Amino acid sequence: MNRKIKLLSITSALLLSASIFAGCAKTAEEKAPAQQKEQVVNVYSDRHYDTDKKLYEEFAKKTGIKVNVVEGKSDELIERLAREGQDTQADILITADAGRLHKAKEQGLLQSFSSDIVNNNIPQNLRDKDNTWAALTVRARVIVYSKDRVKPSDLSTYEALTDAKWKGKVLTRSSTNIYNQSLLASMIESNGKEKAKEWAKGLVQNFAREPEGNDRDQVKAIAAGVGDVAIVNTYYIGKMLNSQDQEEVNAAKKVGVFFPNQDTTGTHVNISGAGLTKASKNKENAIKLIEFLTSEEAQKLFAEANFEYPANPKVEAAELLKSWGDFKRQNIEISKLGEHNKAAVEIFNEIGWK
Amino acid sequence: MERAKIKRHINGWSLISFVMVILILLPSVEIVSNLIKPVNENWAHIKQYMLKVYIVDSIKLTIAVVLFTVIIGVVSAYFVTFYDFPFRRFFKWALVLPMAIPPYIGAYTYNGLLSYTGIIQTTLRNKFDIAVNQKYFNIMSLKGAIFILTIFLFPYVYLITKSFLEKQSATLVESARLLGKGNIVIFFKVIVPISRVAIVSGATLVALEVLSDYGVVSYFGVQTFTTAIFKTWFSLGDVESSVRIAAILMVGVVFVILFEKFMRGRRKYSYSNTKIKPVSRKRLTGIKKNIVVGFFTIIFLLSFLIPTIQLLYFASLTYKRVLNSSFITMSLNTLTLSIMAAIVITIISLVIANYCRIHEGTLSKIISKITMVGYSIPAAVIAISVILLFVNIDRNLKWFYIMINPNSKTLVLSTSIFMLFFAYVIRFLEVSYQAIESGYEKMGKKFFEASRLLGQNTLKTFIKIDIPMLKPAIISSIVLVFIDIIKELPLTLLLRPFNFNTLATRTFDYAADEMLQEAAVPAIIIILISIVAISFINRVDKE
Repeated sequence: MNRKIKLLSITSALLLSASIFAGCAKTAEEKAPAQQKEQVVNVYSDRHYDTDKKLYEEFAKKTGIKVNVVEGKSDELIERLAREGQDTQADILITADAGRLHKAKEQGLLQSFSSDIVNNNIPQNLRDKDNTWAALTVRARVIVYSKDRVKPSDLSTYEALTDAKWKGKVLTRSSTNIYNQSLLASMIESNGKEKAKEWAKGLVQNFAREPEGNDRDQVKAIAAGVGDVAIVNTYYIGKMLNSQDQEEVNAAKKVGVFFPNQDTTGTHVNISGAGLTKASKNKENAIKLIEFLTSEEAQKLFAEANFEYPANPKVEAAELLKSWGDFKRQNIEISKLGEHNKAAVEIFNEIGWK
Repeated sequence: MERAKIKRHINGWSLISFVMVILILLPSVEIVSNLIKPVNENWAHIKQYMLKVYIVDSIKLTIAVVLFTVIIGVVSAYFVTFYDFPFRRFFKWALVLPMAIPPYIGAYTYNGLLSYTGIIQTTLRNKFDIAVNQKYFNIMSLKGAIFILTIFLFPYVYLITKSFLEKQSATLVESARLLGKGNIVIFFKVIVPISRVAIVSGATLVALEVLSDYGVVSYFGVQTFTTAIFKTWFSLGDVESSVRIAAILMVGVVFVILFEKFMRGRRKYSYSNTKIKPVSRKRLTGIKKNIVVGFFTIIFLLSFLIPTIQLLYFASLTYKRVLNSSFITMSLNTLTLSIMAAIVITIISLVIANYCRIHEGTLSKIISKITMVGYSIPAAVIAISVILLFVNIDRNLKWFYIMINPNSKTLVLSTSIFMLFFAYVIRFLEVSYQAIESGYEKMGKKFFEASRLLGQNTLKTFIKIDIPMLKPAIISSIVLVFIDIIKELPLTLLLRPFNFNTLATRTFDYAADEMLQEAAVPAIIIILISIVAISFINRVDKE
């Protein structure tokens, strides 16, 4: 009988400590603002790279401002921001896509800020026109091709991939992915909705297989001979070439990088960027962090560790990226990617791009 | 007379049960309230282009996975309980291990294994110069999802069926054997009917897991209800329609639950004997032995050993970079949170289950079914409604916070771990409740009634009779919930406070960035912790 009573008392003790634990979490949080000593900036981020963490630590060392982070998927973070409204603790929203920043802005979750440093670091076309957000890195969505089976001279534009000669040879990931949605959104912007829909339809007819996997899987599929060309982001090639896994390196070596639409609209680029939240409680610190992240020092780390193009033009891209050569970027206002996102998704559904 | 009746219904048990049920329902109120609104302009688009395909694929996936998990689960539970064969003791324990591997990690791993750069193809290519047709190695499809979900979810059926058979069936099976019935007849005429409750409750868990899975289907590009919910919500930016789809999903879940009720029927098996008679096992020989051992070996290899070795290999490439002091803090965070939540959830379901079995009636039936609500809604939808609820609570409690601390911010609860904790309760109460309820069902009401007749009140009976007799059920409830929470992803991702990471979120972070090898390190630790938890269940079972 004693044992049973013991069991019960242990359980109730645990229950009690659980509630105390919850209570402690509360009081600890309450004390923080009262002291007002520790300077903080709170970030909701969709970037999950170790580089970013290093940069936050660096920033804390320099300024004494601690960076608190909640990581998540951008859509969910935006939803959380919206629900928390003016009471949110978040000061900065970082997403890996311009469309999402635009969406947050449309929902009234961001505010304009003026910083000469940021304006100086980041060119105007990589910033929101109302300065609610600025790009941190630039990603190019390119065509990669099998070095064995495709001559680069066969390639020209995204549009040309709908040509009958590519039937059964085109690879890309699912349309649920934001990178494909933004690509189509950019085509809606430059070619109009009808043309964009025709293109998507034509591309689906040329698919080598139903869309599956991520960008790396498309590269592997080329190496395996499932298809000849794929639409992927450049930094994945960089990461594969530097992988621990020799087989990934081998697969990536089998493909070449081609920047499409050089004679027409330019290669599709997207950004990852940081926006200032409307309800920011640490506005000054937040701006300082954005200034730091766009600085040459921070941008170098972005460029080298992650194979993204730096958003700050004063910083050079990684050697590997430079070896692929310079390219003409799509010249559309980057926030249009967000405006056309819904139309893009509807087109994907209608034409059956899985 | 009437008053006595009412009084009988109002006591501590009913109060706690009601309060819990209301708390569970609160977040769903917002979802349901959206349903009354008229459809908007997106609905036609969704109906035409998304729903048809998604419903068909969801149904295919669920039926196939339930079917295969039941076959594997029941057959293996049967052999482990009634036959003797080499390595029986090992397999009996080992078949629970796949529970330690979250299906989304299993999906990453199998794709890593089978892909063009995976070990199988590279060995064939580099050592034997064989290039294979990718078609046969493609796991990223509906069939692949069925495979992954089956091998990692069948232990739910296996575990529940096995523990039922071990305790309840010995006399019946032995009588049948004495009456000269063959093994096949016994299996279909005795085993399956008497373990129906256990099988169906295992299968229900599997069905609910499949319907709310997002990790595997989104990685493989299979389009199901959850995909539709996320696509509508995020891509079309239409919360209302996505809630509507969630509501349709809930209708599906109601069907699953009704089916469970129907299968249970009115029959209740209550046993007169407290002593559990051990089963006498038949020894298998010859070809039969080899087939059975082969069957168990294949299942064990596919569902545990192969993926684990693959993960260990991945982890060996990257652990130096990934392991550091913050990683250890994070692991401890994960452990504390999971254990505490598991215990609290089990206590709550004990209280509700006890209330429901004492007061049989429509009300208690409804209450016991409401525990399922959280399990049937996709986690992300729960998360958003929980945020809304807590932000509201915080705004209403602001005067109180300011009374304690004049500088207090408004969002106190909703920026603390408490919110996540609460969401876990909603989500996993069902897992615990199933275990406790089937424990109660096995026990019947005799002991309770006897104790009450002897003058003990409900609380004393609960503590002195129910809890000790339910000990195995309680422990399996705690461990099952613990394992679920340690693997849990969407709620933790959305509801965690600042700078709070768990092993699962770290795994996801890496995997989402296509860094599978790095993801292997936290994944392996999740698996190890779960294995320890599982062997704990096992030890208690033996006692």
